[in-house]
Amino acid sequence: MALKERNNQAFGFLYDNYAGALYSIIRQIITGNDELASDVLQEVFINIWRKIETYDQTKGRLFTWMLNIARNASIDTLRSKSYQNSQKNQELPDNVYKGVANQTTQLNVDNIGLKKVLEKLKPEHRVLVELAYFKGFTHEEIAEMMAIPLGTVKTRIRNALLQLREYLK
Amino acid sequence: MNLKDYIASGIIESYVMGLASESERAEFEQMCAEYPALVAERRKFEESLEHYAAEHPVQPPSEVKVKVLEAIGNTDSRSTSFNSTKIITMENAKSSGNAGWMRFIAAASVILVIVMAAMYYHVSEQNKTIIEQNKDLSSTNDRLKERLDTTQNTLDRIVQQQSVVSDPNALVVNMVGTTVAPRSSANIYWDSANTSVYLVVKNMPKLASDKQYQLWALIDGKPKDLGVFDATDEKVILKMKNTQKAQAFAITIENKGGSPSPDLKRLQSMGKTMVTQ
Repeated sequence: MALKERNNQAFGFLYDNYAGALYSIIRQIITGNDELASDVLQEVFINIWRKIETYDQTKGRLFTWMLNIARNASIDTLRSKSYQNSQKNQELPDNVYKGVANQTTQLNVDNIGLKKVLEKLKPEHRVLVELAYFKGFTHEEIAEMMAIPLGTVKTRIRNALLQLREYLK
Repeated sequence: MNLKDYIASGIIESYVMGLASESERAEFEQMCAEYPALVAERRKFEESLEHYAAEHPVQPPSEVKVKVLEAIGNTDSRSTSFNSTKIITMENAKSSGNAGWMRFIAAASVILVIVMAAMYYHVSEQNKTIIEQNKDLSSTNDRLKERLDTTQNTLDRIVQQQSVVSDPNALVVNMVGTTVAPRSSANIYWDSANTSVYLVVKNMPKLASDKQYQLWALIDGKPKDLGVFDATDEKVILKMKNTQKAQAFAITIENKGGSPSPDLKRLQSMGKTMVTQ
């Protein structure tokens, strides 16, 4: 009982320390829907609580682990049928990829967090990171979407991330 | 593979940000196990990413924390929210606190009553025990006193017997059994100087409760009553009635209290004095 209480206290501390950072990444992926984003944040913390035993220290820092949980949950939500349907009511793009590409160019307005850093990248790099990291497309999907070779996608994304790293310092 | 080139390839960032493929991830983890320098580089990027994220937070709605903590079974929400749920919780907590205090007082009262009852019971039981013990002690005391009296009596008699027996003036008459009672025997100590007669029962059969032994002095053929005694007076010196004269002593069985004249058919023991002989 005391152990559980202490765990809950520790978890409250964890929430206080990381909720802002995780909510930021969720908001960067699920744009223009704060209610849905906060639902995802709630789901993310419940998942962290449930899966905390599976966290492997040798594979990375706790924040990295939590950040990836938040990112994956956000992308899953973005790709869920219910979300796709709600988006379709707002716009009916010719094809999904073109719609995504259009969205990407529109995102400059209220960029936060990592996306703000992305602005410093060259546009052709920025789009790829957007699609891969914030939309969750695979390299293959992006290669098809952008009509560029897979090798080029991979190299550009990696270079973009290396630049990103420099900007984070 | 050159480690420097590997690090410069952007694999660290790709891995940390979750953009590496399955095979790339497996390879990277393998490399990390081999090269601590790679782990150090990974850690550096993780830290800068975390640092940046921490510096650029977006504050989530406060009810998210309440919901999360509720979901994981923690009702202790110390968030900064002022939503109605929390206010109700506070009120509940307060009233339940009062109820808890009342319950505590009630429980304490009950416990106090029980303790006092137990103490009263214990004390009264103790008192009873003491009274009982006192009774026991006093009866023991009585018994001891009785026994002491008896002992004192016995001692007195022994001392008396001793003085009689060792009295040079005392005449010892050995009473022997008759054919009616062959095993009956007693000793008569007759002090002719002061006419005192003492009797020591050596072996006299027990009698029915309405019968007693009677000692007679035979003077010139006539019996003189010297008193009655019981078989239970065995080995104790008995002071009988005095007699100045006696040619013989006789013991008969008579009705309780004695008879004016002896029933010689029931003569139990007889002894002649040497004086007269």
